[in-house]
Amino acid sequence: MGTEISKTQIDRLGDRLRKGSITDSDLRLLDQYRRSFTEAYEMVAGAIRNKLGLEPTGRPAKSTTSIAEKLQRESIRLTQIQDIAGCRLIVPDISEQDRLVASLAKLFPNSTVVDRREKPSHGYRAVHVLVTIEKKIVEIQVRTALQQEWAEVSEKLADLIDPAIKYGRGSESAVKILAAASHLVAVHEQSEVKFLESQQLASQAIANASLTDGTSDDIISIQREVDSFREMVTGNRAIVFKELRKFTEDLPEQE
Amino acid sequence: MLFLIEYDRSRGEIVNFREFDVNQSDLAEQSRLEMELDLNRRGIEREVVLLEAANEEALRRTHRRYFEDLVQLVS
Repeated sequence: MGTEISKTQIDRLGDRLRKGSITDSDLRLLDQYRRSFTEAYEMVAGAIRNKLGLEPTGRPAKSTTSIAEKLQRESIRLTQIQDIAGCRLIVPDISEQDRLVASLAKLFPNSTVVDRREKPSHGYRAVHVLVTIEKKIVEIQVRTALQQEWAEVSEKLADLIDPAIKYGRGSESAVKILAAASHLVAVHEQSEVKFLESQQLASQAIANASLTDGTSDDIISIQREVDSFREMVTGNRAIVFKELRKFTEDLPEQE
Repeated sequence: MLFLIEYDRSRGEIVNFREFDVNQSDLAEQSRLEMELDLNRRGIEREVVLLEAANEEALRRTHRRYFEDLVQLVS
């Protein structure tokens, strides 16, 4: 698109965005910079569609508001922002998330995987795969359904109350409930993994017991264990949403 | 499909919503720029974002925040 813009020009633009005074020519320059990611974005989204048979939801370019906020929040330059272009994939659970991340890493061998499940970013849990094409980074967000629901609530609270909430600042009560909900999501997802493991072990044990002299007591006890995990998983999910509902009911009326 | 969204964060509501065919990406990007220029000239703070999804239903699933209020999100 048009003439090439230099790194210095982009970073100077970033300085102006950080200060919050944006002119028409700044917006046009930012637009030109964002459009320079289109080709890389289309290659990544196309490969996900054609090679993995998945349909990502894409954001070919980060919004001006989000870019300006990021520059004001962090001491980085505009050319260092890694999520100018990106797309999102939602999967049912952690096992699927692991499988998909492995497929993406194989599809894009030079990618970097950032796992925010073990070390969440202010409660945000997901796996990001950063793909670099011709020096342009495209961020693929892979979230489980529950991680996605948490992120949506976090974003909405940030919209309505204070953008700083997403980064552990601002409204103390909102930050607290999001941290608690994130922890519950993590506990739920860990129990989900344990449930799937116990289910697999149970299937194996039942198959082995029927081949040997296994008693029906063995099978009953294994099935009880699987059932108790199932109850725990279902219960955890309910707790997460009950807590979030309780919090939103207590929020003051929006203007 | 491409979707151009003008979103009022403080109210948590969409102000403008436009759809474009995937082969209209230049027009969609140009419309986004014009929308941003217009808002900036009028001193109005809004989030303007261009998203791509198979259809509106898929978009509503992965970007619920734009379409639903807080109560709907946690129900």
